[in-house]
Amino acid sequence: MKYAYFPGCVARGNCPELNSATLAIAPLLGLELVELAEAPCCGAGVINSQNPVLADTYNAKTFALAEEQGLNVMTVCSTCIGSLRKSNKRLQGQSAYLEQVNQHLRPSGREYHGNVDVTHLLYVLINDVGLDSLRSMVKRPLQGLRCAPFYGCFILRPSEVMGLDDPEHPTSLERVIEALGGKPIDYWHKTRCCGFPITLENEAASFKMAGAAIGEAKDLGAECMVTPCPLCHMNLDMQQPRIPRHTGRTYNMPVIHLPQLVGLALGLDPKQLGLHKHIMDTSAVVSRVVAH
Amino acid sequence: MPTHDVVIVGSGLAGMRAALEVCQGASVAIVSKVHPVRSHSGAAQGGIAAALGNMPPERTAKIQARIENGAVLPDEELNEDSILLHWFDICKGGDYLVDQDAAQMTAENAPTLIYQYERWGAAFSRLPNGKIAQRPFGGHQAPRACYAADRTGHALLHCLWEQVMKRSDQVTVYSEWIVLDLIIRDNICRGLVVWDLNTGRLETVHTKAVIFATGGYGRAFSITTNAFANTGDGIAIAYRNGVPLMDMEFVQFHPTGLYRLGILLSEGARGEGAYLINGEGERFMHRYAPTLLEKGPRDIVARAEMMEIMEGRGGGPKKDYIYLDLRHLPAELVRTRLPQISDLVTKFVGIDWSKELIPIQPAAHYSMGGIPTTLQGEVILDAQETLVKGLYAAGECSCVSVHGANRLGVNSLLEATVTGWAAGRAALAHSQQAELAPLPADATASAEAEVKGILENEGTESVADLRKTLQEAMTEKCGVFRDADHLKQCLETVKDLQHRFHNVHIRDKGQVFNTALQEAIELGHMLDFAETIVEGALARQESRGAHARLEYFDLKTAAGVRDDENWLKHTLAYRDGDGVRLDYKPVRIFKFKPIARKY
Amino acid sequence: MADIRFQVHRFNPETDEKPYYQEYQFTPLEGSTVLDCLNYIKWHLDDTLAYRMSCRSAICGSCAMRVNGHAKLVCQTQVKNVVRPDGTVRIDPVGNMPVLKDLIADMHGFWTKMQAVKPYLMPTQPPPSANQEYLQLPEAFRLFEEEATCIMCGACVSDCTSLESDKQFLGPAALAKAYRFSADTRDGRRHERLEELIERGGMWDCVRCNECVQTCPKTVAPMEAILKLRQMALKERLTDSIGARHVTVFTDIVGRRGILDERELPVRSLGFNPVKLLGMAPVALQSVLKGKIRPLEPPHKVKGVEDVQRIHREMEDGS
Repeated sequence: MKYAYFPGCVARGNCPELNSATLAIAPLLGLELVELAEAPCCGAGVINSQNPVLADTYNAKTFALAEEQGLNVMTVCSTCIGSLRKSNKRLQGQSAYLEQVNQHLRPSGREYHGNVDVTHLLYVLINDVGLDSLRSMVKRPLQGLRCAPFYGCFILRPSEVMGLDDPEHPTSLERVIEALGGKPIDYWHKTRCCGFPITLENEAASFKMAGAAIGEAKDLGAECMVTPCPLCHMNLDMQQPRIPRHTGRTYNMPVIHLPQLVGLALGLDPKQLGLHKHIMDTSAVVSRVVAH
Repeated sequence: MPTHDVVIVGSGLAGMRAALEVCQGASVAIVSKVHPVRSHSGAAQGGIAAALGNMPPERTAKIQARIENGAVLPDEELNEDSILLHWFDICKGGDYLVDQDAAQMTAENAPTLIYQYERWGAAFSRLPNGKIAQRPFGGHQAPRACYAADRTGHALLHCLWEQVMKRSDQVTVYSEWIVLDLIIRDNICRGLVVWDLNTGRLETVHTKAVIFATGGYGRAFSITTNAFANTGDGIAIAYRNGVPLMDMEFVQFHPTGLYRLGILLSEGARGEGAYLINGEGERFMHRYAPTLLEKGPRDIVARAEMMEIMEGRGGGPKKDYIYLDLRHLPAELVRTRLPQISDLVTKFVGIDWSKELIPIQPAAHYSMGGIPTTLQGEVILDAQETLVKGLYAAGECSCVSVHGANRLGVNSLLEATVTGWAAGRAALAHSQQAELAPLPADATASAEAEVKGILENEGTESVADLRKTLQEAMTEKCGVFRDADHLKQCLETVKDLQHRFHNVHIRDKGQVFNTALQEAIELGHMLDFAETIVEGALARQESRGAHARLEYFDLKTAAGVRDDENWLKHTLAYRDGDGVRLDYKPVRIFKFKPIARKY
Repeated sequence: MADIRFQVHRFNPETDEKPYYQEYQFTPLEGSTVLDCLNYIKWHLDDTLAYRMSCRSAICGSCAMRVNGHAKLVCQTQVKNVVRPDGTVRIDPVGNMPVLKDLIADMHGFWTKMQAVKPYLMPTQPPPSANQEYLQLPEAFRLFEEEATCIMCGACVSDCTSLESDKQFLGPAALAKAYRFSADTRDGRRHERLEELIERGGMWDCVRCNECVQTCPKTVAPMEAILKLRQMALKERLTDSIGARHVTVFTDIVGRRGILDERELPVRSLGFNPVKLLGMAPVALQSVLKGKIRPLEPPHKVKGVEDVQRIHREMEDGS
């Protein structure tokens, strides 16, 4: 298993623990990651609001970099996979458009031919590693830790672009959590939006969204939330202290990146996984799993 | 009590088009049992006819060359579409039971009214030169169907709703209000009795003029393209109030309803080149319309399908359906011009049109008959055209009669538009000179009795069972082909159901959204007017347009026997005690002499 | 097909204090839609159940409801596709609207917001001649063709995440309609429309969650329409809002560095906004302490950033 690794801006910025946790578990999973050091930002759907062709061109560059090595792209971010796949669909769909975009890649000697697929660590775990094999790698089962999966919008929707899981009733995160020995919590907000994209524009609405998800997970007995998206992580974890002002409720909900949860179960040191770097204290989760 | 100069019942194309006329000079309200954008006009797919002549001449010329009736049409009209040609096509398509002044009014006003839609923002498909796109349609000799992909009705309905929203201070909309009764005394219409589905309250609406634009009655049949809402309410209420119903026996069966479901697959598909295939894999239309083939008018194509089935050449295990074949059409054409159809067959029957044949059968589609009116939409009481003052009708519930014995495709949106516009103008003029007529003390008595009669009935009959029996009888015995024996049986069934309806029971006794009560009331309406369809069909001893009597039909040549001498006349069906009394009214023919109808 | 248990949302304002689920169990006929099943319940089991329906061919927009928590037109939803592993199907009214009875929602708010975007053509030029249409090239028509297929069923509004937290948000249907007219070459009021839509509750309050794209039973893809409104607004230089600055600053940062710098983005997006910046300070400080934000580190750049800068220059200057 070898992938062109696209960490995305947040794993290289505000959530460095996501990047280190990913790099830490990869060898244990037999996963070789070749980081795309020259790949620009995926645009996060934001650049699309100004210039969609520019965003597609950045992503075509990323695809060309992977294509040169004959690799498909793996991300660790729901937003990245969504943006990349959307661009890819547009580029693969129309040769005239691909040509228009390639004109901006050629000055630096690159061209994208449309032969790259984009996936996410979550789907690599299921489709490449395999759940049975993952189960067999577990050194430190999660002891029935009650985990509330939180998907992040772009990894599911629109299914016309994603198509890797049922957009309304997904099961991928649940199956991974179960394979690791945890107990997934089923709740309505697991497929909803965390509110991150509008924290600047409309803080109240953004934090109410995050609060609604965390609150429901808590009501159903979740001990932590697990997300494959660092943007969700920022709203659910980093901003969690600011949420009560809008919802009148405190949560104390640890929020774990997907590779951190995998790493914990595979027996890695919680420090190496960066679990101490979160704003919301993760020690209860860590001690629950490690104490055994 | 709501009081308005003019009250329009129904919010489809006819109703909203009328409202946009009335609101220019009078206070107007629309009362509708559904929200305006839910109206069934939105389900029309293929287009709206007007002789705009937008198609490039090289495409029109070929079709024009097929005109076989040179004696009727001046030669100089042959090279491009014209209002005269449209007018003629309507009259011929209606098997000459068309009032030719009505057809003239329709064809003449079509271009202006379509330009009006376009100026209001209607999302028409376009030709490369930027003009409204047009395509061929069954029975039209020129490509004059203006279209918005295959959702033209939707485009126009929403366009009108946008204009109504723009004038929300001038047009009041009462959504989910169900009309129970007209208040007519001394031949003057004074208002309406309405039941507010939201609250269960009975309301009296006081007005100088009522326009009925309540749509058709396809739901009286089991296989129908029509919405659940199409229960002919206005037609039944007019009938109960002494208005005769005209030409009710003429019910159009659409040749391409999805098998068993009846869901409409636009004639636009055949306009764009789709084939009809029988169970033996053969294109069969050459036997029935050798020139136009699949593009023939609906009555002829529907009968052709039935004859294939009757002769054992249907498809499927029961050999009871026909196939629509889109497989040879380019994907791009289907994507841009027939997107809704391809989506419907995927979602409803799980069929990939590019690889598979689509099972279809004739489905009750359109009511040519209805409430008789003048060209201005004024409701008339008899062959002498005695008016009910202040009562108007427009759209499918009305019968002016522009479609005669058979409506051509893409003329329904047009007729709804033209008659809505005309009735709106007439009602506005009337309301500007008339006074509000006083309401009688017993205005609501009959409606109250109707509602109470159902709510308090502890009988044993179920609405669903009675309705199903009616629908099946109508489809099986009063369908594409009819004969005296079956019609008599059908009449007996209807009579029996009317009787059993007195014993109907619903469990829901509530006030808010009592849709069980609504369905019971609608069933009552259908049982009343269904009798006029069957009686009219039984009496009419000929085949004409959509009315095909097996006794007057040569199955070998697939030709009906039309009897102009005795039956070139409109049927008027009056309620008479417990039964129906029939009368007749001459057809206005002054331009095109009836000739044999061949395609 | 096996027995299915339908868990149907019931609420009668005349008799019930709060909603409850009623279960109906039967074996639907092969090929049944969810609407067929509701009709079976109403016609054979319980006529008190209230819901809206009319055309049963996905064009009238009456029958949007939530099936297992997500809005659908029940007339075009095959029941076999939505039965859950435990043999149940849950049916609720659409979300984000008050319930009037059982499965019937109050769409008054929907129409008020629709009306607020001036959902009609406002031409400022006459057509070429009195007896002619406006000319519109097919490619110009295609700019809003998909958005014009909206049937106003409310499915997108039902599942909109932003609306759930912010009642002021105009919502996907109204904004898609606003785009449909802003993109119409016959309309003369695009700029005025956009000026209103950049206000609070407008285009910048969409969270881009794609729920509306997923749930729309037609081909409207409302969120994509909202993104197109944003592109239009920026083209028309309507940039004085946090949302607009967020986009332009984001694009600028990536154009210079190839990667986002999350320290620069909020400060520049918020503009001069000491209150908001102060509000963020405690979390920022905590993030610094945890090592998530590293204020002293020089801003990141991707390797070979000059190439990204070139692409950005070519495409942004060219537009």
